[in-house]
Amino acid sequence: MVRKDLSVDFLGVHFENPFCLSSSPVGNCYDMCAKCYDEGWGGIVFKTIGPADFLIDEVSPRFDALQKEGTPFVGFKNMEQIAEHSLEENLSDLRRLKKDYPNKVLIASIMGPTEKDWEELARLVTEAGADMIEMNLSCPQMTSHAMGSDVGTNPELCKAYCQAVKRGTDLPVLAKMTPNITDMVPVAKACLEGGADGISAINTIKSICNVDLNRKIGLPIINGKSSISGYSGKAVKPVALRFIQQLRTGIPGVPISGIGGIETWEDAAEFILLGSTTLQITTSVMQYGYRIIDDLKSGLEYYMEEQGVDSLEELVGVANENLIPAEDLDRDYKVFPHIDQDKCIGCGRCYISCYDGAHQAIVWDEEERKPSCDEDKCVGCHLCVLVCPVGAISKGKVVMKPGREGSPEEKAI
Amino acid sequence: MTQEYMKEMKPAYTMITIMEEAERCLLCHDAPCSQSCPAGTDPARFIRSVRFRNFKGAAETIRMNNAMGSVCARVCPTERYCEYGCSRTGIDKPIDIGGIQRFVTDFEERIGMVILEKGPAKGKKIAIIGSGPAGLQAAATLLTKGYDVDIYEKNDKAGGFLRTGIPEYRMPNHIVDVEVKRIEDLGAKIILGKEIGKDLSMDQLKKDYDAVLVAVGVGKPNILDMFNGNEYAVPAVTFLAEAKAKEGKVDLPDNALVIGGGDSAMDAATTLKVLGVQNVTCVTRKELVDFRASKEELETARAAGVTIVDGYAPSAVDGKVVTFKHRKLNSELKIEADLIVLAVGQSSEAGGLGLTMNKNEVGFEGYHAGDNVFAAGDITLGDKTVVYAVRKGKEAAEAIDEYLGGK
Repeated sequence: MVRKDLSVDFLGVHFENPFCLSSSPVGNCYDMCAKCYDEGWGGIVFKTIGPADFLIDEVSPRFDALQKEGTPFVGFKNMEQIAEHSLEENLSDLRRLKKDYPNKVLIASIMGPTEKDWEELARLVTEAGADMIEMNLSCPQMTSHAMGSDVGTNPELCKAYCQAVKRGTDLPVLAKMTPNITDMVPVAKACLEGGADGISAINTIKSICNVDLNRKIGLPIINGKSSISGYSGKAVKPVALRFIQQLRTGIPGVPISGIGGIETWEDAAEFILLGSTTLQITTSVMQYGYRIIDDLKSGLEYYMEEQGVDSLEELVGVANENLIPAEDLDRDYKVFPHIDQDKCIGCGRCYISCYDGAHQAIVWDEEERKPSCDEDKCVGCHLCVLVCPVGAISKGKVVMKPGREGSPEEKAI
Repeated sequence: MTQEYMKEMKPAYTMITIMEEAERCLLCHDAPCSQSCPAGTDPARFIRSVRFRNFKGAAETIRMNNAMGSVCARVCPTERYCEYGCSRTGIDKPIDIGGIQRFVTDFEERIGMVILEKGPAKGKKIAIIGSGPAGLQAAATLLTKGYDVDIYEKNDKAGGFLRTGIPEYRMPNHIVDVEVKRIEDLGAKIILGKEIGKDLSMDQLKKDYDAVLVAVGVGKPNILDMFNGNEYAVPAVTFLAEAKAKEGKVDLPDNALVIGGGDSAMDAATTLKVLGVQNVTCVTRKELVDFRASKEELETARAAGVTIVDGYAPSAVDGKVVTFKHRKLNSELKIEADLIVLAVGQSSEAGGLGLTMNKNEVGFEGYHAGDNVFAAGDITLGDKTVVYAVRKGKEAAEAIDEYLGGK
């Protein structure tokens, strides 16, 4: 059995492990958070707290999920806004949590429509005992356009709100970004200039998940209508990783709390390798419960063991340098697929995909039901590798393109 | 126990589990499943439709080809046909093609989908004798071609062996009703309780109709001579028919002995066990390696708790005590039972209809018996499964169409 120290230090706060609930329905009251801590999570971003006079009024139902074949929750859409409990209840829960779980990290997520509100909320949650503040600049389904993702696309406004929060607290502050923007870097930079200490990314993506084909209404249906709202879960992971990579490239070394579709320790490791120090999770908890922490932690410990590292911080951002602009990639060689005829079960999927989706380079032996590669036609795209259901196709012979310098043996394929 | 008998043994897929099973399908380029159905079903096509959530399209693929789609989904020994060459076997086990077909045809029934349509009227009339799968399929094919079809059934309900010979837990009568109704809705007139050769002469039929199709099946049970007059012995088909007609509410013995190793033997033994008979022993002459019953049926019988003894043939009987001898070894077996079910094959009565018969099969290749008379189903050459009955029904209908000039 492997036991590794998963603890990380992030913005001066010690986390026993990097796994936190993101600010959402999964961390909405004392009982939920207590159970989550008990099950082993390192931290919680408590569901976003708004000003006392902003009343939360939710719709019913409020979720939808995208399915693919037998897989539910490929992606998840939710319409919930920020915490629906009163400001006083929320502050009281924060106080109790900090008192009962002094060694766990408690992050207060806040959101307000004016600088005055941001400053006041920062002061209140600091007094309540939070270890850190996360500014929610990015919820895409607020009923007020003075709050949420509309704010998060405006660098000046974000900067002003960060300054306001910093006036109300001396705690470290995270600014949570919206992905509903072409380039996140200007907003993140503005937030850091305004005093934020790190960036959380990403919040949910504006979406319409499904449409009821008979009633012709998006889902979920609320009295005959629906709305655009935030999309999360496994499907958004590639988008989240891209934004995190761009943040680390645009603002070298920026501290990041990574969010977006983390379900397994492998997802978590990817976020870490691309520059996240802590990780935040909601959708997979909504689907499977807090217990997913067991395998997130254990899997990550085994990964650390395999990688020969004693601290997760050694892994933070190490993959960033291996992501370079497309124009800088080596285009001098190609890798032919290698087909293992013993593993091949003769389904012909590689043949279909190569013919219809690539370069007609797989030759199909109709008698034997076996594929082979026509190297004159093969461009080495490896679509066949991806569609093979039994993993019978792998990287094979490397060849230089005609007229190119270099040695195939030296290529890190 | 009758509750268990009345419920389909194999659970149906749900909207979620069907997607899981369809996802297992590799969607082969040259799908072996679609090249091995005797009835010409194209599983690769309908599984792909399910995979892409086009359930109506899937139902169309099945029904256009097979008027007995819901029946075949349940009783076809798929392990011998479509599932036999399944590429997925290279990974773990074949796709449950029968199960997927059942889901799709149940869906078709649930939404009341009407797929087959009567062809433009040709003004010609065909009589079909027998309403088993071959007769029903032939009727469907002829109707879609525009012929008028009358089906004569000697029993008081249509369906033939499907209704009487296959237990409810495998072939619910409700499904038979649905399949029959579809063909009636397509335009078939089914005349019940009329036996040709008894209530109406074959000659009359030949005069009244442009063509006559004999699809009477092989339904008369065989009896081993030593059991003649034995009060404990009953033919398997008789027992199965009674159990099905009475929805399982039949008198049960404490111990039962089934003699035979075909599908009817397995069905009878499993039915007895499911209904609550304590000890059910099935003795079969063939050894298990060359067993005639489908693998699934054998497994079902075993799972139900039937004791199967192979390699023994009955040599003598004294009341309720049967003596068996091993075919190869010097070994004897004596079994006493309160009920002895004989599943030792069936014979055809088609000879009475003027057909040249060679034992239970017609004495000619193909379907044309001479004059305007044709044959289909188990009495014709070839396999005796439901799926073959469907194939023969289709082919016989084509032969009739050709005989009548396709007009």
